[in-house]
Amino acid sequence: MSAYSITEPTRRSKWVAALLVTLYTVITLLPLVWIISTGFKSGQDSISYPPKVVFQPSLEGYVNLFTTRTRVSSDEFGNLPPPATWYDEIVRDQGMVIAGPSRFGERFLNSVIIGFGSTFLSIVLGTLAAYAFSRFKVPLKDDLLFFILSTRMMPPIAVAIPIFLMYRSLGLSDTHLGMILLYTAVNISLAVWLLKGFIDEIPREYEEAALIDGYTRFQAFRKVVLPQAATGIASTAIFCLIFAWNEYAFAVLLTSGTAQTAPPFIPTIIGVGGQDWPAVAAGATIFLLPVMIFTILLRKHLLRGITFGAVRK
Amino acid sequence: MPNPIEAAASATPRAVARRIRGLSDRTIAWLFVAPTIFLLLAINIFPLIWTVRLSFTNFAANKPNAEVKWVGLRNYIRILTDDGIWANMQTTAHFLLWTLFFQVVLGFTLAWLINRKFKGNDLLTTLIVLPMMLSPAVVGNFWTFLYQPQIGLVNYVVEVVTGTPASSFSMLGPGGLAKWSIVIVDTWMWTPFVMLICLAGLRSIPDYIYEAAEVDRASKWRQFWTLTVPMVLPFLMLAVLFRGIENFKMFDMVVLLTGGGPGNETLLASIDLKREAFEKWRTGYSSAYAIILFVTVFGLASIYVKALNKVKER
Amino acid sequence: MSKFINGLFRLRRGPWEALATALIALGVFMLMQPFALALYTWSFLVTLAGTVMFIIVSHFPE
Repeated sequence: MSAYSITEPTRRSKWVAALLVTLYTVITLLPLVWIISTGFKSGQDSISYPPKVVFQPSLEGYVNLFTTRTRVSSDEFGNLPPPATWYDEIVRDQGMVIAGPSRFGERFLNSVIIGFGSTFLSIVLGTLAAYAFSRFKVPLKDDLLFFILSTRMMPPIAVAIPIFLMYRSLGLSDTHLGMILLYTAVNISLAVWLLKGFIDEIPREYEEAALIDGYTRFQAFRKVVLPQAATGIASTAIFCLIFAWNEYAFAVLLTSGTAQTAPPFIPTIIGVGGQDWPAVAAGATIFLLPVMIFTILLRKHLLRGITFGAVRK
Repeated sequence: MPNPIEAAASATPRAVARRIRGLSDRTIAWLFVAPTIFLLLAINIFPLIWTVRLSFTNFAANKPNAEVKWVGLRNYIRILTDDGIWANMQTTAHFLLWTLFFQVVLGFTLAWLINRKFKGNDLLTTLIVLPMMLSPAVVGNFWTFLYQPQIGLVNYVVEVVTGTPASSFSMLGPGGLAKWSIVIVDTWMWTPFVMLICLAGLRSIPDYIYEAAEVDRASKWRQFWTLTVPMVLPFLMLAVLFRGIENFKMFDMVVLLTGGGPGNETLLASIDLKREAFEKWRTGYSSAYAIILFVTVFGLASIYVKALNKVKER
Repeated sequence: MSKFINGLFRLRRGPWEALATALIALGVFMLMQPFALALYTWSFLVTLAGTVMFIIVSHFPE
């Protein structure tokens, strides 16, 4: 028998484990692969049965996602000038002409504005509060922290009714500002809890040394604590961004036009006779891909993020 | 020994100096915490108190000019004696229990396997985690495509594996499968969550405990039940409570998958609440409904925070 | 068990929190159980009582 630690799993058990986990990974990634590949199928291919694994790639979904199209009669079709661009050609192949751009671009931009706006605000407010909770004796600290966390647990639909009424009377419904404030309020609990954990880990001695050197509290906070907490702040920001990016319930209840984000919009992409699946898949791909990339970047801090900083590994 | 900062400090007028430096730690603490508390009061607590107030009235948001009557506890009594809403709670329970069951079994098993530390386990973990971070609404919408009765991937796979013709059943249509379809999607999305937390639990167990057990000649089976499981349990509790709360108020993913249908088969409490509040506009009544859901979530959340602190002490 | 009861009398946090937790769990069970409408009807009060109790007793000394 070869020498190994008694707690080290045997080679065979490692092999079996690797095999089973790989199998699960393949199954669990299948729907994601399917979304991405459907985005590159033509309308015909996307609804053929049995489902096509090998297909002629087409940009039809992406073109349909960004345009609105009208059907023209066959007489008129013959009189049209030849298609000017590659995307004109793709639309012509479906027997239609481009009528104009779709709303997807705007909705996507709204998601970006609201996502970054609320993330920025939550991080600014959250860092300040987390620093105070970490370093000072705040009266009722535990109660305040619990209160902050409990706001995260609120069912969105339960607070949506009065927020809807409040926003209606303040003129905030369907505005970017309204959504930014709302998402900030939801995200701030996560920001405070996570950042408090990160700041707790920075030794107090650094600041104390700075204070002795004549820094004020503010200077010590800005020049000593903030740089030390940079990684923590960055990963907290990504968590806030992902949440605001994904949020649906508030978005669908409180926005309808100007400030509507992408999640309530994507399911409304309609083609001829039902949903235009390649376009939906294209929209979903564009929308989900940034989150997948961020998740991979975040992998070291993921556990912390989902447990509000309680489990640090 | 005068240093430049002190020199500068003595040069500034006293009033200004006091404003800058004289802020006591206590003031700074309040200054830093206040904006957060203010925002939460304005956007969470104020609306909540408003909801409580509305729940005692017959207000309807689509008729802001109609006379608002104070109805006392009538809304609460009507909801709490309503067969239909009771049925929705049971639908929620079905969703809750089965998703928790599958996620715990799968999540724990995966964590246990990954903890064998085979080559490449980091990469696989990262890939497995992906579904969890995606937008539930977009995912829910896309799964309706996978669940299409004639052309969907799910029906095709079932036909290939079991031989049941793909057109003979419909995952989201009538036939009783819909409430399992939502369980499948939720399990697909959130198993990684349970897995990650279990993995942290498993990794928190120091090796020497197993070494001691080996010395005592405890069987692997015994080690698993007397060491592994109790040590991971606090972590598992955390995951279960959090998923429980989240799924109790589940809205986005299911509303896009089934919209509560067919019939009322997957009408979870929050979807029903959304209909009452934003389609039938029974604002007072649905405020009472919201408060009932809120108190339940709040109760579970207090237990959750207790579990959180317990894990933190480890 | 006697330690638990002793803790209740001396207003200690641990046993009271356990009691409140049990009450909340009972309320949640009553809310979603399929057996009797009456249990469902009273579930809200039980959960509410448990939650309020939890908030109060979490300020008791350890």
